[in-house]
Amino acid sequence: MEIRPQPRVKISCQHISKIFIQKGKMKVHVLEDISLEVYDNEFVVILGPGQSGKTTLLRIIAGLESPTSGRVFLNGEEVQGPGPDRGLVFQSYMLFPWRTVLGNVEMGPRLRGISKEERRKIVAHYLELVGLTGYEKYYPHQLSGGMKQRVGIARAYANNPEVMLLDEPFGQLDAQTRYYMEKETVRIWEQEKRTVIFVTNNIDEAIYLADRIITMEGKLPGRIKAVYPVNLPRPREHTDIAFLKLRQEIIEASKLLL
Amino acid sequence: MFKAFGKVLRNEFSLYVISFFCFLLLWDWVAKEQILGRSLAPPLDVLKELHRLTTVKLAGKDLFGHIWDSTRRVFIGFAIAAVFAVPLGLLMALNRYINALVKPVFDIFKPMPPIAWISIAILWFGIEEASKIFIIVIGAFIPCLLNAYNGVRLIEPELYDVIRMLGGTRRAEIFYVSFPAAFPAIFSGLQISLSIAWTCVLAAELVSSRSGLGWIIIQGMRLTRPDLVIGGMAIIALVAWLTTLLISGLERLICPWKRGIKEGYL
Repeated sequence: MEIRPQPRVKISCQHISKIFIQKGKMKVHVLEDISLEVYDNEFVVILGPGQSGKTTLLRIIAGLESPTSGRVFLNGEEVQGPGPDRGLVFQSYMLFPWRTVLGNVEMGPRLRGISKEERRKIVAHYLELVGLTGYEKYYPHQLSGGMKQRVGIARAYANNPEVMLLDEPFGQLDAQTRYYMEKETVRIWEQEKRTVIFVTNNIDEAIYLADRIITMEGKLPGRIKAVYPVNLPRPREHTDIAFLKLRQEIIEASKLLL
Repeated sequence: MFKAFGKVLRNEFSLYVISFFCFLLLWDWVAKEQILGRSLAPPLDVLKELHRLTTVKLAGKDLFGHIWDSTRRVFIGFAIAAVFAVPLGLLMALNRYINALVKPVFDIFKPMPPIAWISIAILWFGIEEASKIFIIVIGAFIPCLLNAYNGVRLIEPELYDVIRMLGGTRRAEIFYVSFPAAFPAIFSGLQISLSIAWTCVLAAELVSSRSGLGWIIIQGMRLTRPDLVIGGMAIIALVAWLTTLLISGLERLICPWKRGIKEGYL
C-alpha cells in the first residue's frame, strides 16, 4: 500500500506577539498571537494593509527582530537570529551603491568564504535566472527600479537559502513593471523552487502569486484574519472568472479596499 | 546678426568668459580712476609684480619658495589631522563607549575657532613651524572627525540587515557597510578641512612668520604695495583651489560609484 507523504513543515510560527517599546515608555502592540505553518516549497502571501504588522512578522521570521513572546522554527529548529538559510528581499532594494551588480550578488557567497571562480559561476547563474546577464559591471544607480529588485532577488538567491522572504518587493514599481515582475517571480520560482513568504498590500498580486493567502487584520495589533488556499493553475489570468471570484470573496471578508 | 549674438549669450561658457572680463575691466577702471585711492592696484600691475617675484628673492626666497612654504605647512597639518581625526570619528560612530569618552571633550573644543589658538600655540611651540602646523591641525581636525562620524551615523540601518541576513558578522558589517558608506562623507570632510587649513596657515603667517603667502601679504601691507597684497591673495586662491582638486581627484578614484551619481544629476 502506498503511503502519501505529509507535506513537510518548513517554517512554523507559534503564538508570536510583538510589543515595541518606543522612547522609554510608549508601548506599541504590533503582533498578537500569530501562529502559522509554511510547507516546503510553498508560496505563501501575507496580505494586509499598511500598519498591519506584516513587515514585523517577516522580520521576526528573518531573525532580525525577536518576538516578545512565541517562537519561530525553521526545519524544527528554533530561529535565534538572522542567517543565510533565509534570503530577504527588501521593499527599498537595499543594494550596496558602492558595489556593482556583480559585487552585490556575490556578497553572500563572499561572506561564506567561497572562492572567486566559484562566486563568478554562482553570480552568472543567478543573473541569468533573473534576466540580468551582461549587467555585471553596472552600479545600482544606473539601473531602473525593476532591475534593482532583480539584483535584490539574485543577491538573496545567490546564497542558496531554503526560504525566500520578500517584503513588498514591488511596492515602489509602476503598475506595468510591477505586473511584469510578478510574472517573472512565478517564472523564477518555478525554475528554482523555494519556500516563499511574500508580504504585500496588493490583492491582485497576492492571488496571482500565492499557493495560500494569509490576510491580516487592518489595525494594530496585527492578527491573522483568514487563510485562503489558491488552487488556480499557473500561469494565472487577472481576468479569469475564478480569479475574480476569489478576489471578491477576500474583499468582502476583509471589508477593506485592498 | 542678433540671432548669432543671442546664441553666444545663451552659451554658458561664453557667459563665463564675459563675466570674467567684465570683472577685470571693472577692477582696472576702479584702480585707474583711483576710486579707492592708491590702495588698489590694476590687474596688470599685480601680474607684473607676481612675475617679478619669480625672479627676485624676497627674504631669501622667490615666489615659488613662498608658495611651497605655505603649501608644505598646510599639507603637514592637514595630513596629521586627517590621519587621527578620521579613524577617531569612525571609532566614535561604531562604538558607543568610545563615543561617550571622547564626545564631551570634543564638544568643548568644537565651537572654538582655530584662530583663537594662535597665541597659546606661539607660547607653547614658539614662532617656528610647529606653532603654525599646530593651528592647522586644530582647525582641520574638527570637520574631518565630524564628517567621518556622521557618515557612519547616517547609514541606513537596513544595509546592515542585508549583511546579517547573508550570514555576515559584525566585522563584516563594518568592513562591507560602515566604511564604504562613509567614504563620501569622509571626503567632503577632507575638503572642508583643507579649506580651513588654508585659512589657518594664512592667519598663522600673518601673525608671525618669515616666509609664506601670508607673509607676502603682510610684507605688501608694510611696504604699502597693493600689487603685492593682491598678488598674494590671488596666489592663495589659486593654490588652495588646486589642492582641493587633488582631493576631488582622489575621491573620484576611490568612490567610482559616486562619480556616476554626480554625473547623473548634471
